[in-house]
Amino acid sequence: MSLILPTKLAKQIEQILARLRHEVQAECILLADIGGRLISAQGRIQDIDPVLVAALAAGDVAAMTELTRQIGEESYHGSFLHEGESKSIYLFSVANSFILIVIFRADTPLGLVRLVGGRTAAQLSALSADFEELAKESHEVPSGDFGAALADELERTFGRL
Amino acid sequence: MFINWKLREINLKIVYYGPALSGKTTNLQYIYAKTAPNIRGELVSLKTRGDRTLYFDFLQLELGHIAGLKPRFNLYTVPGQVYYASSRKLVLQGADGVVFVADSQEQRLHANVEAMHDMEENLRALGYDPRAMPLVLQCNKRDLPGIVPVPLMKDQLGFDGVPCFASVATQGTGVFDTLKATINLVVVQTQRRL
Repeated sequence: MSLILPTKLAKQIEQILARLRHEVQAECILLADIGGRLISAQGRIQDIDPVLVAALAAGDVAAMTELTRQIGEESYHGSFLHEGESKSIYLFSVANSFILIVIFRADTPLGLVRLVGGRTAAQLSALSADFEELAKESHEVPSGDFGAALADELERTFGRL
Repeated sequence: MFINWKLREINLKIVYYGPALSGKTTNLQYIYAKTAPNIRGELVSLKTRGDRTLYFDFLQLELGHIAGLKPRFNLYTVPGQVYYASSRKLVLQGADGVVFVADSQEQRLHANVEAMHDMEENLRALGYDPRAMPLVLQCNKRDLPGIVPVPLMKDQLGFDGVPCFASVATQGTGVFDTLKATINLVVVQTQRRL
């Protein structure tokens, strides 16, 4: 199941994440898919490994989805929070397909993050419905020689290991 | 496969699947140990106190720009123990390719076949066609006594036409050959679909 993010859509997502970051003064904001792939990142990402955070957040949401199923809920639509001593994380499910990850200072009002984060998740959810269409409109595809060039690079990097 | 054209990044998710103790985590540990720090991230293992994989292991590899794109490979393992069925299914979500790590020992034949059925069932539940998923078989633990010949293992698992590598993951034999073959297979199949 491939996901192609054309430049135009990537910019739209970045703008939405940047606005959220500004409104809640978050350290950083990430958008991942439920498979754990990092889609977009905004803010002080040099302090974290955003790819790893995306993978772990997807694991968390997957576990929560399974937990809710165990108590008889059909699917998980909500959000959840880790309150840390200096930094906290809020995860919002976006259209059951993506995860909005907000990392913020612990002194930020939780209600603000919940309110603005929830609103942003709804906005991303509406946008995600167009993902497929926007991706189809894009004419950006890897060049024909990408596969061969990658095979050469893999051989060069891993060939003697 | 996920391509972000603004960042010019191409992401692949590869999942190491197989029965308990077949060597899935060992594959990732060897890859981590042998790759240069500048092309790999942290190896993260969500495991039990008894050192068994509880949820998944995760390792990211990153190469320099190739034909204008920066490839990133996200490698996951699933927990092999039978009672972690939910975790296995969830880790398979969004997978671009699967390495099936089979245990070559004769007494593990049933566990291999059971894991193969479990994988196919989970792929179907996630909306994948198991036959269309890029798959590579790794017959691991070839250094142990009482092992099944590789062609027979392929036959027993019903993996006709699936690329296959004999390996000793603890020593690194076959580990990178398996990884290269899987990545190449994923890229070829995805490019065909685009």
